[in-house]
Amino acid sequence: MMIWIVFSVLAVAAALSVLVPLSRSGREQRETAAYDVEVYKAQLGEVDRDLDRGLISEEAAEAARTEIARRLIAAGGAGEEAPDTPTADAGSRPRARIGLRVAQALALVAVPLGTIGLYSVIGSPDVPDQPLQARLQEPVQNRSLPDLVARVEQRLAEEPSDGRGWDVIAPAYMRLGRAEDAAAAYAAAIRILGSTERRETDRGEALVIANNGIVGAEARAAFERAVALDPSAIKPRFFLALALTQENRKDEAIAAWQALLDEAEGGEAWAEAVRVELAKLGVETAPAVAAAPGPNRDDIAAAAEMTAEDRSAMIRSMVDRLDTRLSEEGGSTDEWLRLMRAVAVLGDADRLRDTATRAEEALKEDPAAVAQVKSLARELGVGS
Amino acid sequence: MIVEVGHFALILAFVLSLVQSVVPIWGALRHDQRMMAVAPPVSAMMFLLVGISFAALMMAYVTSDFSVLNVVQNSHSAKPDLFKITGVWGNHEGSLLLWVLILVLFGALVAAFGRNIPPELRATTLGVQGWVTAAFLLFTLVTSNPFIRVSPPPLEGQDLNPILQDIGLAIHPPLLYVGYVGFSITFSFAIAALILGRVDAAWARWVRPWTLLAWLFLTLGIAMGSYWAYYELGWGGYWFWDPVENASFMPWLAGTALLHSAIVMEKRGALKVWTVLLAILTFSLSLLGTFLVRSGVLTSVHAFATDPARGTFILGILVVFIGGSLALYAWRAPLLKQGGLFAPVSREGALVLNNLLLTVAAAAVFVGTLYPLALEAVTGEKISVGPPFFNLTFGPLMIPLLLAMPFGPLLAWKRGDIYAVSQRLYGAFGLTLLATLMVVWFQGPQQILAALGIGAGVWVIAGAVAEILSRARFADVGMSTGFRRLFGLPSSAWGAAFGHIGMGVVMLGIVATEAFQEEKVLTIRPNETVTIGDYELAFGGLVRRTGPNYIDDVGHFDIFKGGVKVAEADPAKRLYTARRMPTTEAGIVTFGLSQVYVSIGEVHADGGADIRLYHKPFVTLIWLGCLVMGFGAVLSLFDRRLRVGAPRPARMRAVPAE
Amino acid sequence: MTRKQRRLTMIAAAGSVLAVAVGLILFALNDRIVFFQSPSDIVAGGLPDGQRIRLGGLVAEGSVQRGENAQVRFSVTDTVETVDVVYVGLLPDLFREGQGVVTEGVLTPDGIFRADNVLAKHDENYMPKEVADALKGKGVWQGEQ
Repeated sequence: MMIWIVFSVLAVAAALSVLVPLSRSGREQRETAAYDVEVYKAQLGEVDRDLDRGLISEEAAEAARTEIARRLIAAGGAGEEAPDTPTADAGSRPRARIGLRVAQALALVAVPLGTIGLYSVIGSPDVPDQPLQARLQEPVQNRSLPDLVARVEQRLAEEPSDGRGWDVIAPAYMRLGRAEDAAAAYAAAIRILGSTERRETDRGEALVIANNGIVGAEARAAFERAVALDPSAIKPRFFLALALTQENRKDEAIAAWQALLDEAEGGEAWAEAVRVELAKLGVETAPAVAAAPGPNRDDIAAAAEMTAEDRSAMIRSMVDRLDTRLSEEGGSTDEWLRLMRAVAVLGDADRLRDTATRAEEALKEDPAAVAQVKSLARELGVGS
Repeated sequence: MIVEVGHFALILAFVLSLVQSVVPIWGALRHDQRMMAVAPPVSAMMFLLVGISFAALMMAYVTSDFSVLNVVQNSHSAKPDLFKITGVWGNHEGSLLLWVLILVLFGALVAAFGRNIPPELRATTLGVQGWVTAAFLLFTLVTSNPFIRVSPPPLEGQDLNPILQDIGLAIHPPLLYVGYVGFSITFSFAIAALILGRVDAAWARWVRPWTLLAWLFLTLGIAMGSYWAYYELGWGGYWFWDPVENASFMPWLAGTALLHSAIVMEKRGALKVWTVLLAILTFSLSLLGTFLVRSGVLTSVHAFATDPARGTFILGILVVFIGGSLALYAWRAPLLKQGGLFAPVSREGALVLNNLLLTVAAAAVFVGTLYPLALEAVTGEKISVGPPFFNLTFGPLMIPLLLAMPFGPLLAWKRGDIYAVSQRLYGAFGLTLLATLMVVWFQGPQQILAALGIGAGVWVIAGAVAEILSRARFADVGMSTGFRRLFGLPSSAWGAAFGHIGMGVVMLGIVATEAFQEEKVLTIRPNETVTIGDYELAFGGLVRRTGPNYIDDVGHFDIFKGGVKVAEADPAKRLYTARRMPTTEAGIVTFGLSQVYVSIGEVHADGGADIRLYHKPFVTLIWLGCLVMGFGAVLSLFDRRLRVGAPRPARMRAVPAE
Repeated sequence: MTRKQRRLTMIAAAGSVLAVAVGLILFALNDRIVFFQSPSDIVAGGLPDGQRIRLGGLVAEGSVQRGENAQVRFSVTDTVETVDVVYVGLLPDLFREGQGVVTEGVLTPDGIFRADNVLAKHDENYMPKEVADALKGKGVWQGEQ
């Protein structure tokens, strides 16, 4: 808003610089000749001064005087070009009035409108000033994440062996949804700074998200390394259990989930997610310990709910994107298979059946692919 | 917001310049006071608006606002603050904005201080200035807009070309532009005079201060540019006859001619047609220079990154303005009345000779600069025209100019007496002879050319001094009256004398440097010494130093004269880290008027370095002479004659009765 | 002097200055200009001995040998032909192997180009215009875009 006020002030000032002189009438008129006369009189004075100082001879001075006097007379006598009396302001004649009006209209309308019109084409009124100092002084949470990422990326381009930089940039990539970049950044951090439970887990998580929620072989290896480094870590084991679930190794999965749940002290957010997973596998579990001190039951439930929902929402949106792309543009056999697995993770049997049907339809020209789809569908429990 | 306000102000200035192009001239042609009265306030307003725009861009540079593309491409947050500011005009877009700023500055100056100019002439002049302004604002907005934004902004800029990160860049282009662009106002005066059909002695007087002002800045700008190239490029040369240098030198030659022919017009009403043509040509050469520098049709060491689209646009401006003004000239000039008569030997005659030689010299530079272009267009043959061409063509034309210079101011108007004048120059001639013989005596007869060159310089200086002294007439009136008369001389007389003295000083500097300089190129190892001139340089080895945005490999030299240490020099090889670009920082030590110049080339593995070493006797005179010339222009500007007051209405009725 | 004489004197003076200037310019244009040649042009021969030329091309990779006292040997190539160059002096800051360069000097009878001037512009993206054109002619270099 402020910016438009400033623009208006400028435009008004500009228009006034044209309008004011146009409207100010009857200023004293001076002939052009008067200006000439002034010059020639000054020249006469100079000749006199030069003569006084003896810089020129008497004859030269006389000749110069004659010449200047001739010009003086010419200027005084024939100075006017207009037939009108010189004092009459030409602006008061009727034809001239039209000219004036045109000029006034020009100033009033064309100047501001023309400027705003042109500005609206080439200007960017919405882009604020962004001085570097201010950008850097803004608290981190207010600074735009792309800014931070760009800054760190630049550093890393110059100094690729800066492990801390990779450590910093990886979670930022995750927040920006650039899971593959995040996985690569974690890999770099692990290479430079060494393997820790935390980095391996995070890398695995990034790989899972990059893979639409499926725990692939690489991610699995990462989680396994994490568990090896810290057998008590919850998160890698959670994902390993998820991997078992996805591979339909039901008994092992249930055992893994159960083991996790046994370690829950009650109230952990992940515990609720584990119960949800177990429920999907048909295992009823006791709800979180009611007697646990601390936050009340509802809170816990809400928190658990949140996490589970968050996670599945994220996976759902990825699945949806893949789904849309495949149905609109088609895709390879592997992509369809990946989509089916992902839908299976969501636990929506109807949708899985539908997906399988569409996959068969899309790949019907390739019998081998159709066979693969059928076998996977059977594996996932929706096959015919 | 600031950036966008700058952008908006620039567009507003463009729209206003369109109004300015039409309304005042229309008013002048129809004797409409009110429409003419529009010109001054609009000129002031345009200056304000472009000023806001320029300030906004500068603000963006100083605060490293990388949401502005121009800042991203030419700045870096680690750059020292001074170079953030100078970086504003260290690139095409910013320098064009500076161009326009100076264009409107001159308009505003005429609006503010031109009260003694008749309203018709002033309104028309400002209107024509409005045409030029409109053309260049359009060029800026369409092809070279500095206010293009980037979103999201990157976190770091690409830095300014390191060669431009120098204090010389802070001063040199603005000075040069004030000169270059300043001639736009004499152009506008000339076109206005042609439109109104009035060119007379009074016109010459009204235009004179503006010509002087532009000439002053152009002189200083060229001198600065020359010194900048001298110490920043590390080649030890001060003038390369490079197209970009020629581009500023041609308007200077034409402008110098204009300055002199306008005197004849003012005093005698003669040479009107010629003076108006010179005013047009001078600015046309400025435009041509801009075109050559920006379009990339000629390669040059100074050129900015170039772009063919911009070249085409400037070519369009060039054709319209030069073609249009010459057509107007061809149509209107024959209507102008002839002025006063004069004999070939007279002050006028001398000034005509000056004009003839200067314009022909400008034409020679013009041919040498554009011939490669023309030849390539016609035959496809690629050639380069370098110093040998210019030395052979430009040099001989300067000889008669220098020889005639002392005579001019001493000759009387209308009909002069060459013998009487010669008598007054006996002293100057004696000094010249003495100087020439002394050079031959000390340097040997093989330096006869140098001796003659030095003689020419002394001749010009002594001639100017003789002229001033003869005006005081010490011999006739005695010491005390003589001094009183000397200080009572009009400051324009002093100005002319200093202008000529400055020219002689430049001549001395050039000849002495060219003839007596010593150059050595060698590999030097730590603790070795080398002798040049009377000086011994001991190399102390190379050290690495880190600057704000560069790394230096500094070579340290102790300079001895007769076994006594007199100075130190620290030339360096510098690497600007952002662009990974190396530059050479010459080590220059001034002894009196002479300089020792060291620059470092390849660094060897054993700690040795290739160096280029010069002893340049009296080299500083080249630039000091330019300063003296500039001082002369300042003196002339303060002459009371240029401040003819505006007529008071009460007095005007009385005049025609005479 | 009559008016006519005056005018004639002036015209004669102006005419003679112009004539001298035109003469100088024409002479200088015949004598003092330097032709641009590519290595192929030089190998093809036909240059008069001792004529100053500008040789432009790319500095051949691995060809730069530095000697004592700032003597440098390198080869200039247009990728078809190559000419050896000897130069004594400091090279420009942006002289690099594989980069465009323009050298000015004289071809010695043994086929080595003795340069007294080596140019490279002060811009890292710079390709001397003549070199760019010559290389484009050989189909070697495509330009920046």
